[in-house]
Amino acid sequence: MSKRILLVDDALFMRTTLRKILEGAQYEIAGEAENGQDAVEKYRSLKPDLVLMDITMPVMDGLEAARTIRAEDPNAAIVMCTALGQQNLVVEALKAGARDYIVKPFEPSRVLEGVGKALAA
Amino acid sequence: MKVEYIDPFVQAAFEVIAQVTGDQPTRGPLSLRDKSFTTQQVTIVVGVTGPVEGQALYGMSIVTASKIAAAMLQQEVVILDALATSAISELGNMITAHATARLAKSGIVCDITPPSVLRGMNVEVSTFIPALVVPVLTQFGKMEINVSLAEVAAVTLKAA
Repeated sequence: MSKRILLVDDALFMRTTLRKILEGAQYEIAGEAENGQDAVEKYRSLKPDLVLMDITMPVMDGLEAARTIRAEDPNAAIVMCTALGQQNLVVEALKAGARDYIVKPFEPSRVLEGVGKALAA
Repeated sequence: MKVEYIDPFVQAAFEVIAQVTGDQPTRGPLSLRDKSFTTQQVTIVVGVTGPVEGQALYGMSIVTASKIAAAMLQQEVVILDALATSAISELGNMITAHATARLAKSGIVCDITPPSVLRGMNVEVSTFIPALVVPVLTQFGKMEINVSLAEVAAVTLKAA
């Protein structure tokens, strides 16, 4: 059975791009969320195998969403996917429980590598 | 506004445009505006917050925006619909994020706000901070980068 992924990004373009990459690699998209609050709610209802999460989003950012999800499910697999590449944010994301940190723009192979490793961890 | 604040944005634009479209842009001459504004048809606005704050605006024609979106989506763009607008918006987001990463290496650690897109000619955004403007020339047309950033203490003083 293919692994189910929740895509979280406020940009329709990014959700569409990630969906193409992941579906092309036989992953199932469990759902999409446009902000951190939406992501937390969809994580509870959809119970995906992995969350691919942006950081800069309205309502609730990706770091806070990752902390909230991990507080409820310490085994949640979360990979951050953001344009922000500062060292301090990478450290903060890993502290929040992210298993990998992908910087946009990305090559499709980098996304598949990050998702594959996070699911195997 | 310090001139050194704009270079990270131009370098980031070169880097991101090359990665998402394969183009190798060049830059035009630097100019200064009293107000941060653009007369172009499509403008992406991204806020910068932190010890240095303000905004970055990326202005271009609808034709240029459509061509860049088509290259990013790897499909034809006839009208600038929600998906194409989102692609252009994400371009502004990525350029600003990469610029702030470059600023962070200089010890200026800032955050950015989610991007918004303004449509329409002669869009004017007034700020207290003068804008530095650099045209970036791509195979898709010109994109004008307007950067209005100042140290927070300076902004507070001027606003008071």
